[in-house]
Amino acid sequence: MANARAIVKRRKAVRNIRKITRTMELIATARFKKAMDRATEAAAYTQKIAEIVADLSQGSLKFSHPLLQSRDTVKNSVLLVITSNRGLCGGYNGGVLRKATACIRESESNQRVEVAGKRGINFLKFKGQTIAESYTHFEDRPTFEEAEVLADRYIDEFISGKIDRLDVAYMKFESSSRQTPVLERLLPIGQLAGTGEGEKKSNIDYEFLPSAQEILEEIVPAAFKAQMLKCFLDAAVSEQIFRMVAMKGATENAGEMISSLSRQYNRARQSQITNELAEIIGGMAALE
Amino acid sequence: MADKTLQLVLVTPETTLLDEPVQALRFPLFDGQAGILPGRAPVVGRLGYGELRVTGSDGENRSFYVDGGFVQVKGSVVSLLTNRAIPVDQIDSAEAKALLEKSRAIIAKGDSEIAAKDRDQERARRMLKLASS
Repeated sequence: MANARAIVKRRKAVRNIRKITRTMELIATARFKKAMDRATEAAAYTQKIAEIVADLSQGSLKFSHPLLQSRDTVKNSVLLVITSNRGLCGGYNGGVLRKATACIRESESNQRVEVAGKRGINFLKFKGQTIAESYTHFEDRPTFEEAEVLADRYIDEFISGKIDRLDVAYMKFESSSRQTPVLERLLPIGQLAGTGEGEKKSNIDYEFLPSAQEILEEIVPAAFKAQMLKCFLDAAVSEQIFRMVAMKGATENAGEMISSLSRQYNRARQSQITNELAEIIGGMAALE
Repeated sequence: MADKTLQLVLVTPETTLLDEPVQALRFPLFDGQAGILPGRAPVVGRLGYGELRVTGSDGENRSFYVDGGFVQVKGSVVSLLTNRAIPVDQIDSAEAKALLEKSRAIIAKGDSEIAAKDRDQERARRMLKLASS
């Protein structure tokens, strides 16, 4: 009897877990849709910036801006690692942190590590890595204001020469079925989107107010900020996808476990009945 | 030759706020208010801080506070890129006041800091003016 009871209990526990993982899957799906909408809306801004940059480049203008210049010797660099605050999202944090630790190991310069997300903070603390700054306020809805604060600081530090490079480790969203952990260099900006060759489309003669050079000076930081926000948005979308996939797997596994437990329980019950019958028959035989 | 409408696209880094045909619009350029009517020659410009006034296709006026950025006019499409755009009736005047106080309290040294202080004050004042109007 004890065996069958134990199996019933266990099956109940697994059922409860399945309920939880199924709910988490549904929540992640809803959040993913929202995050995805935000990301696509944000893409309009980046696209417009690229368009204006392309317009500017028609004016045969030299692109020179402090943020675009790469420095020969990299003395101080910053690594920003974007992870999630919550767990239960499969290989999401593992992938990003693997990239980040590889970068930390290889860096020869004086590197400062900044981390967003509790998971990453805990992991790097455990590893004994000193964390210069940590952020936990980036949830699944990163806003421009939040990203701008960071971006402004990096721009100041880069221009004043305190840092020579900024790398970001995050989960890049390529499509809803493909996300890859990447390490991207945000500063110095190698090339602005839209300055690529072969894009001779419009030959509109623009009037520049006040001048092309001054617009460029403003647009480079704006492009950087948009890029920064994109990193956070990508990370948020990818996190939800990973969680969705992980929870889907967990729900399926729980279902399999329930059916195997049911089978075990039935077998145990049946053998118990057989046992009892045998005992009764044995008892009757003894009485005769 | 040109059609009589303009297509206004107002985008912030987070979202596209407006994408609709309008009759006319006025917005702050870096050196003062500028207006755009249908048939404007192509232009790329830097925005200042202040009020964006939109006359919709139904003749109704609407106002936004825009916080710097760029404008691009191309054909009949006017694109405004700005960090923030707030409908005037949603401006938090208390916040704007706090911003003004804060920027006034800064003791600026050197040209760049003075410029930054002036800019912040200007922004806060414009926002406050719109909030109270």
